[in-house]
Amino acid sequence: MSEQKGLEAYAEIRFLAPEECRFEESPGGLLVLHVDGERYESVAVHRAFPFTYGDDYLSVRDKEGNEIGMIKTLKVFDEQTQTLIRKELERRYFVPTITRIDRIKEEFGYGYWEVQTDRGPRRLTIRGVHESVIPIGEERVLIIDVDGNRYEIPRLSDLDPKSYKLIDQYLV
Amino acid sequence: MHTTEPIPAQVESLLNAHGVQLPSLHLLLATDMTLTGHYSESWLGVDDKYVYMISPSPSYEQNGRSAGPGASLRFETYPLADIEEVRSVNMMGNGMLVLRTKQTEFVLCRYSNTRAKQLGQFAKIVNKLAKGEALEAEDFEDPRAEVACPKCGQLYPDQNRKVCPKCVDRRSVFLRVLSFVPRYKTQIALILFFMLAGVALNALNPYIQGVILFDEVLAEDGKYHGRLVEMVFVIAGLQLVSLLTSIMHARINAQMTAEVVRDLKVEVYAAMQRLSLGFFTKRQTGSLMTRVNDDAMNLQYFFHDGLPFFIVNCLQIIAIVTVMLRLNWQLALVLLVPAPAIVWFVAKVYPKLWKIFTRRHMKNRALNAVLNDTLTGFRVVKAFGREDAEIDRFEVRNLDVYDVSLAEGRMKAILFPTMSMLMSLGGFVVWALGGAQVLTGALTFGTLMTFINYLGMLYGPLEFMTHIVDWWTHCMNAAQRIFELLDAQSDVPEAANPVRLPAIRGEVEIDNVTFEYEPNKPVLRDINLHIKPGEMIGLVGHSGAGKSTITNLISRLYDVTEGAIRIDGVDVRDASVADLRRQIGMVLQEPYLFQGSIAENIAYAKPDATPEEIILAAMMANAHYFIVNLPDGYDTVIGRRGHNLSGGERQRISIARALLHNPRILILDEATASVDTETERNIQEALERLFEGRTTIAIAHRLSTLRDADRLVVIEKGQIVEVGTHAELVKKRGVYYNLLQKQREALKIGVKIA
Ligand SMILES: Nc1ncnc2c1ncn2[C@@H]1O[C@H](COP(=O)(O)OP(=O)(O)OP(=O)(O)O)[C@@H](O)[C@H]1O
Ligand SMILES: [Mg+2]
Repeated sequence: MSEQKGLEAYAEIRFLAPEECRFEESPGGLLVLHVDGERYESVAVHRAFPFTYGDDYLSVRDKEGNEIGMIKTLKVFDEQTQTLIRKELERRYFVPTITRIDRIKEEFGYGYWEVQTDRGPRRLTIRGVHESVIPIGEERVLIIDVDGNRYEIPRLSDLDPKSYKLIDQYLV
Repeated sequence: MHTTEPIPAQVESLLNAHGVQLPSLHLLLATDMTLTGHYSESWLGVDDKYVYMISPSPSYEQNGRSAGPGASLRFETYPLADIEEVRSVNMMGNGMLVLRTKQTEFVLCRYSNTRAKQLGQFAKIVNKLAKGEALEAEDFEDPRAEVACPKCGQLYPDQNRKVCPKCVDRRSVFLRVLSFVPRYKTQIALILFFMLAGVALNALNPYIQGVILFDEVLAEDGKYHGRLVEMVFVIAGLQLVSLLTSIMHARINAQMTAEVVRDLKVEVYAAMQRLSLGFFTKRQTGSLMTRVNDDAMNLQYFFHDGLPFFIVNCLQIIAIVTVMLRLNWQLALVLLVPAPAIVWFVAKVYPKLWKIFTRRHMKNRALNAVLNDTLTGFRVVKAFGREDAEIDRFEVRNLDVYDVSLAEGRMKAILFPTMSMLMSLGGFVVWALGGAQVLTGALTFGTLMTFINYLGMLYGPLEFMTHIVDWWTHCMNAAQRIFELLDAQSDVPEAANPVRLPAIRGEVEIDNVTFEYEPNKPVLRDINLHIKPGEMIGLVGHSGAGKSTITNLISRLYDVTEGAIRIDGVDVRDASVADLRRQIGMVLQEPYLFQGSIAENIAYAKPDATPEEIILAAMMANAHYFIVNLPDGYDTVIGRRGHNLSGGERQRISIARALLHNPRILILDEATASVDTETERNIQEALERLFEGRTTIAIAHRLSTLRDADRLVVIEKGQIVEVGTHAELVKKRGVYYNLLQKQREALKIGVKIA
């Protein structure tokens, strides 16, 4: 009988360490990665656990979608690289924060919302309230509209009373 | 020029200023986002020479302001001659167009998901122009055409549900609901009759027990003074009649309700069966089940509670108010004074109560979901010893339900006493004012009593009226959803004049087929394959390559996005669906067995099969032996998903099912993946005999399964990469050879271990 070993004895995650790789931005605004003497154009960065770990456990992929490696945590990278990768993440995960709700009109089970977000004013349409307004924990709310766009209210208690009253009716 | 939206004057003048005239553009459209991720319009255009981009200048972006009038715009041009490719990258909640030239690659623009289709179209058109290809009318098909209401241009809130909430004519929904009425007209008429009779009797009661009893029978100078016994009989008789009417009413009501629900459910269920596979995969089974169950129920309220109650309540309110006004209008008016307060209270507090009701409903549903989940997956729970964790999970949900139930109870405990307090308030006023009037002799005691009783009768209907709006929307919504299902068009519609294919020879032609399950994400690209009648084709390739998808297209479970599939030279879209299904047999990758006996499952597509036929089919599928070994033989009832059979046994039953179907084209999707090699050989030999001269398309990961195929087709990432016989492909030393090598190595390792 061999002693019990963890899975790491049998498989390996290729974690990219700061000292072995270099990220840079191409003149066209795309992310470029140098690692192991290779140069990867327009790499994409995916969050493996978008809700639970956010900027930890990032999967770095080449243009074809093959994983080059993973980043365990952004924190160990230098300031400049962090900014670059955060910019790429921001681009991939476009989730505006709703700062104010101006109006909600309901018709036939569809909601037409007029909101202010950190990205500017927006009109959105949601259907079937309970699949579209999703509370995550006590304070956070995720809103998915009919086109699959996502919006977020990070802290309900930060909303002004009028906005809160408008959204409260959906938070059963 | 094509455009789908109005062009701001500012954009047009800017284009003109750069010498670009609108008519010379092929396409001009807007995105709704800037490069820095702010909502703001930018415009993209393309003509024969250039791509144009008009976007707000950076200072505006930073302020997060939209490019309204006065915003300064930036104008950029990119020569088509330099462009190698524009690709659209779809990400979470947004996407981007990336433009590649010989030298560099950059993000041209970003867009939210709302605009993904339009921008995808733009990329396609630019690519064509850059390659010098001619544009066709279909390149410009408005991607919003089926996604927006043709009347008002508004996007449908639900793409799967082509209903524009703005333009939907609620009256017509209502009329359509009413069109159900004739079916139940006797019952509805009877219900109305008994309800009206009930109202009349109820309205009569206070009058008799008040004015007549006190003023005419008990009073000295009354018309019927002293005839108390008769009076008691009259009152008792009326009560009896009233009781009878309500019994009749309830009986007929119950019967009709059951009938309505039954009829509706059957209709909805039948409509669902007609719909395509795509319809089901796009929706959660749960929500469909809700439709069959809840919506039919909601609509039933319409007939049962809604319509008759509405009519009766209206009449009751009118009748009572009229009677009260006629008896003593001053007192009547005084009486109505607290009514607004009550209505206000109800309007204020009831929504809260409803919210709690909804919440309890949701929590209950969540609890049921956990229950359903663990009971269905109990094997996994047991296998991993997670019973305690599951109990905890249940406990959490259970606690939620407990909490809301408690809240509900508390709320009711406050609400209902307050309500009756408010109601009796009206009574106090009447007692005080009316009593004074009785003392002065302006009012008889009987009239006062009558008043008090009428008052009590008024509040019920009033309360009903406060949630009439809610009830109405609820019913109309349910009705709308049901009608939509009844009216839904299958994604794979039968042609108007379907070509009959009574006997398929089995020639399959896949002509330049591209297919997407979801827009802009092709799963198959440019597939060309000509399968001769009687040929056996083996499809191989990595998991997720698109093999099952090809077979789904051949049997027309989905329709191709581009290109065509022809069987015996007839486009499957023109062929009779029934003829196709009758002659194409599929053994699916995940065999599904229905609840029922093994015999019923084998004879699924041919319910009138004789026992001999069933046994023969089972024998060919190598299933006969194990079936007869079961205590109940072919009559063994298989539970949900056939859990009491092994994986290979289930597979063999589903093969027998396909064999009994006796198709001209047989599709085997990993049909023998779970059986041992020897059994597989046996099944294959049987199949070979039966399918001599019939077309077979088989998918297998175990390559030895497909050794005898006439041709092997290797699929990789949605494209055909190699075609040929086993020997040819081995000689070629390409993708297939590699797959084969890897499998051989794997086998060798297996041998070593053994
Ligand atoms: N209903 C669907 N909606 C969206 N995407 C789907 C759907 N069905 C399959 N896909 C995707 O299409 C691709 C091809 O799937 P397909 O089932 O044809 O693969 P396959 O070659 O049969 O794989 P396997 O060998 O694992 O069965 C996969 O990436 C899969 O995720
Ligand atoms: Mg498959």
